[in-house]
Amino acid sequence: MTEQPIITTSGLYKSYDGVEAVRGLDLQVPAGSICGFLGRNGAGKTTTIKILLGMARPTRGEARVFGLLAHSPQASAAIRLRTGFVGEEKDLYPYMTVAEMVRFAAAFYPRWRRDLEQRYLRRFELPAERKVKALSRGMRTKLALLLALCRGADLLILDEPTAGLDPAITEEVLQALVTHVGAEAMTVFFSSHHIAEVEQIADRVAIIDRGRSVVAGALDDVRQAFCRVEMVFDGEAPEAELRAPGVIQVRRSGRVLVVVSRGGADPIVSAARALRPKSIDVVPLTLKEIFLASLGEEA
Amino acid sequence: MLWYKSWLETRWRFLIGLALLLCSAAGAVLTYPQVLKLLPQVPPHVDGLLGEKIREAADLARSYQGYVWSSWFRQNLTQAASLFAVLLGTASFLSLEGGALFTLSLPVSRRRLVFVRAATGLAELFVLVFVPSLLIPLLSPAVGERYALGSALIHSACLFIAASVLFGLALLLSTVFGDVWRPLLIALAVAFALAIVDQALHSPALSLYRLMSGETYFRTGRLPWGGLLAAAGAAASLHVAAIANFTRRDF
Repeated sequence: MTEQPIITTSGLYKSYDGVEAVRGLDLQVPAGSICGFLGRNGAGKTTTIKILLGMARPTRGEARVFGLLAHSPQASAAIRLRTGFVGEEKDLYPYMTVAEMVRFAAAFYPRWRRDLEQRYLRRFELPAERKVKALSRGMRTKLALLLALCRGADLLILDEPTAGLDPAITEEVLQALVTHVGAEAMTVFFSSHHIAEVEQIADRVAIIDRGRSVVAGALDDVRQAFCRVEMVFDGEAPEAELRAPGVIQVRRSGRVLVVVSRGGADPIVSAARALRPKSIDVVPLTLKEIFLASLGEEA
Repeated sequence: MLWYKSWLETRWRFLIGLALLLCSAAGAVLTYPQVLKLLPQVPPHVDGLLGEKIREAADLARSYQGYVWSSWFRQNLTQAASLFAVLLGTASFLSLEGGALFTLSLPVSRRRLVFVRAATGLAELFVLVFVPSLLIPLLSPAVGERYALGSALIHSACLFIAASVLFGLALLLSTVFGDVWRPLLIALAVAFALAIVDQALHSPALSLYRLMSGETYFRTGRLPWGGLLAAAGAAASLHVAAIANFTRRDF
């Protein structure tokens, strides 16, 4: 995997009617990665995606995709030529049939993959002559995914691709995505607030809260950096302040002192020894715990 | 393919309009003999604005040219073209249900998106105005009359240029509002208000509807160049404003 970023945002701000949706977002997505973009509802995920695709202009800062400035109209068209997109609402043209939608989208992409088009039409069992307005949400999602995957794109941007889908269709969509990305050299940037699906398919994660990036990096590195150190004492846990870099949470409960850190376990363990606990356990955090801890830290 | 998309979006409005206007044009021509028979029954003295209108219509109907202008170009076609200019100009640029984000994710400039939609709508408006009007010279021999092709073309051209102002207004409003109903209703309200002002001021020189009907050409044989240029300028400005507004806005 090369480490040249496909997506870069630096000091990115976006306000709508005085409300800041994105506040100084710094983000890098390396080529070839599958990056899960996590955040609560209203954290700024969709706004960031819209900026990357030229649908919204940043108030300050800049966003680059393939090294091109996303808010420049000419560069934005070049970015979109190499990018597949599935929006949260899977808004397609209700008056077109599936076959018309596919023909329509194919006309804009010189690298359109007819082989994949036929494969996904069969795999997703999409009825070619049915109007989009008559498709279920699951079918519409599959069609939107087909239209994004067949573009011959270098980058896939997916905004809550599985929102509103039942678990069976969610799994089908994710499997299709993983298989596709495994076979084609491409970068995937997808937003979600479903942590399980990010864990399932992503190798990188960026967590955004209130418009700012609070965690970003390779999933393995993030998992290594975040840990919970549990100390048990003979008597009541001491109230002494634990001075170590990366401490984001300290909880006392009777004889137990729990410290959550984003700076790895070693500095905490070293500092904890001075408190003379009876035992020290280092427990890795799940992505869900990392997500909640980072939001707590930001709050 | 953007042309195809625009056609799919507007085809029913266009086809319904074309069918209605073709029937209306044929009806206007074929009922002329009945109108002639009814003329002697028009009372010579009717007071008020209504009486004035009836007398004027009856006077015009005594000649076939006057009848065609009064019933078709000034009345039926002007009213229908105003309505269909607004209907065809109303677009779903911002409607999420209409696939706005999918469209914006295509590798196409926003300027081109509006341009193609506007060009498709204007082409349809052109057909709606010209084709039924050209039916009039073709059908006139069926009632033993003659109507000059050149007159039909000139009246249609006046009507098309003036109606494109209402089309441009609806297009601009479609880049402002996220639904299709507000642009449609506001543009229709403006068209209605202009008609009221027109009636109240007895077709002032700067009347859009007077320009649409080609009244100056009918009465004097001269083309209303000033009005046509002003309308073309206003329509072009509204189209440019629509493109500029759509290009600058955030989604």
